[in-house]
Amino acid sequence: MIQLFHVTKYYEGCLALSDISLRIEKGECVLLTGPSGAGKTSLLKLIFGSEHPDDGQILVQNRNIARLRRADVPYHRRTMGFVLQDFKLLPHRTVFENVALPLIIRGLSSFESRRKVIEALRAVGMEHKQPMLASVLSAGEQQRACIARAIVNSPIILLADEPTGNLDPQLTTEIAELFKAINARGTTVMMATHNRQVVEQLNGRVLRLDCGHLLSDQGAYT
Amino acid sequence: MKRLWYFLREAYISLRTHRASTVIGIITTAFTLSSFGTFLLLYHNVHNLIGRVQTNIQIIVYPNDAIEPQQLQGLKNAIQTEPAIDSVQVISKHDALKDFKHQFPDEAHLLEGLGKNPFPASLILNLTETIPSTDMVSNLVNRLQQNPNIERVRYNRAWIERLSLVITYMEIGALIIGGVLALASITIIANTVQLAFYTRQEEIEILRLIGGTNLFISIPYLIEGGVIGGLGGGLALAFLRGGFEFFKHKTHTLSVIGGFSSIFEFFPFSLSLILICGGILLGCVGTLTSMYGWMRFRL
Ligand SMILES: Nc1ncnc2c1ncn2[C@@H]1O[C@H](COP(=O)(O)OP(=O)(O)OP(=O)(O)O)[C@@H](O)[C@H]1O
Ligand SMILES: [Mg+2]
Repeated sequence: MIQLFHVTKYYEGCLALSDISLRIEKGECVLLTGPSGAGKTSLLKLIFGSEHPDDGQILVQNRNIARLRRADVPYHRRTMGFVLQDFKLLPHRTVFENVALPLIIRGLSSFESRRKVIEALRAVGMEHKQPMLASVLSAGEQQRACIARAIVNSPIILLADEPTGNLDPQLTTEIAELFKAINARGTTVMMATHNRQVVEQLNGRVLRLDCGHLLSDQGAYT
Repeated sequence: MKRLWYFLREAYISLRTHRASTVIGIITTAFTLSSFGTFLLLYHNVHNLIGRVQTNIQIIVYPNDAIEPQQLQGLKNAIQTEPAIDSVQVISKHDALKDFKHQFPDEAHLLEGLGKNPFPASLILNLTETIPSTDMVSNLVNRLQQNPNIERVRYNRAWIERLSLVITYMEIGALIIGGVLALASITIIANTVQLAFYTRQEEIEILRLIGGTNLFISIPYLIEGGVIGGLGGGLALAFLRGGFEFFKHKTHTLSVIGGFSSIFEFFPFSLSLILICGGILLGCVGTLTSMYGWMRFRL
């Protein structure tokens, strides 16, 4: 599903990832941990195609991301969902419009997209909030809407960068539970997090990064 | 269908939320297009005027005084075969005399002392082209002068030559001024749209995050640029029309130029349409230039 071969990444001469090799299978739940500046975000960005590796190869669903043409990057991203720490919703649109956006980009018919949006919102427990403006939602609701938007296309891979970073412990548990449920339905989940509670709750494979090096890789392949 | 609706909505929202810069964009575009339009209007009218004057430009051929009437007819037929000639009008000595008497009845008595008619016969040639090239006219005149039956050919060479020169200069001027002004409005629109880009970076980032292509992201901005350009063009047209009517009114009441209103005219519909389409085109090009720089460094 995802394979990295000796991936190295520099930012203006400063090492962010050093010689990372790993293999992630379909349906796995992978947790990236490590101190700040370890390279967690960088690793996710490489897989997402928003950064290029300086060395090594990255295969995502047998597609070489390191050699992806710029014009193909958007199509690569449509096969994935990405949830960020700061929620990134369009504030002046309703919840429904925000979640429907990936489907509009793909040019789906209204009927089909309506069904998918409702389905995604139901999965995160937000179907009753769909006519509300994104700007009036609470933090937990915003993150739920973001998750709905990330899964509305039924992606094979769901990436998340500190999705609970801005949430209190109660909400953190709820959001972690959502990821667990999404993973249980077969979606490969890859999440960067500092939060030990989340790591324990998700009980997945744990990759420890520090200063761009992969220190340890624990947890069973499923 | 859904996408189209999305694009239009996005463009509308962007235009509305950035009302100030939209208005500035429209006004500056209108201003540049009006300056260009003023020039175009001038050009259009001078061209028109020349067309009218040109129909009055005639080549007058004076045959030998001793020419027989049937020879005169033959000469007329010969000249009429020239491709550059539209029509030939024969004025016999008798006609010329009658014309004179008709035009100047008070002076008619001057002629009474003369035993024979002093007026020469003449042929008046009307050209097919309203704006003939100087080469064509001088070739024609040279050929006519070689004819033994013709004594003299009269035409206002300087006038024709100067006219074609003026037209050439105006065309070059139109090209230069048009180019400079087009560049100016492209820059202005590019800046207006760029402003929208900067204020909406976050939104663009989100669209990239969910796999929006550059094309998808830019179409609303292209529409936005086109709308600004088109409205600017429309406003420019209104300015020009207003200015034109005002000028017409002023000169009419002052009667500085007697037949102003009959001589000068506003753009025909097609030219007005071109001005508006030009505005739309400028808007789209402006958007593209601002986007090109912006997109290139983003992934
Ligand atoms: N765009 C960038 N330009 C320059 N340096 C960068 C850039 N992005 C990341 N870095 C550097 O790369 C290293 C790894 O950063 P990264 O964001 O991957 O860490 P992280 O593990 O996500 O940290 P955090 O837990 O704080 O989010 C850091 O030293 C950071 O300063
Ligand atoms: Mg990070």
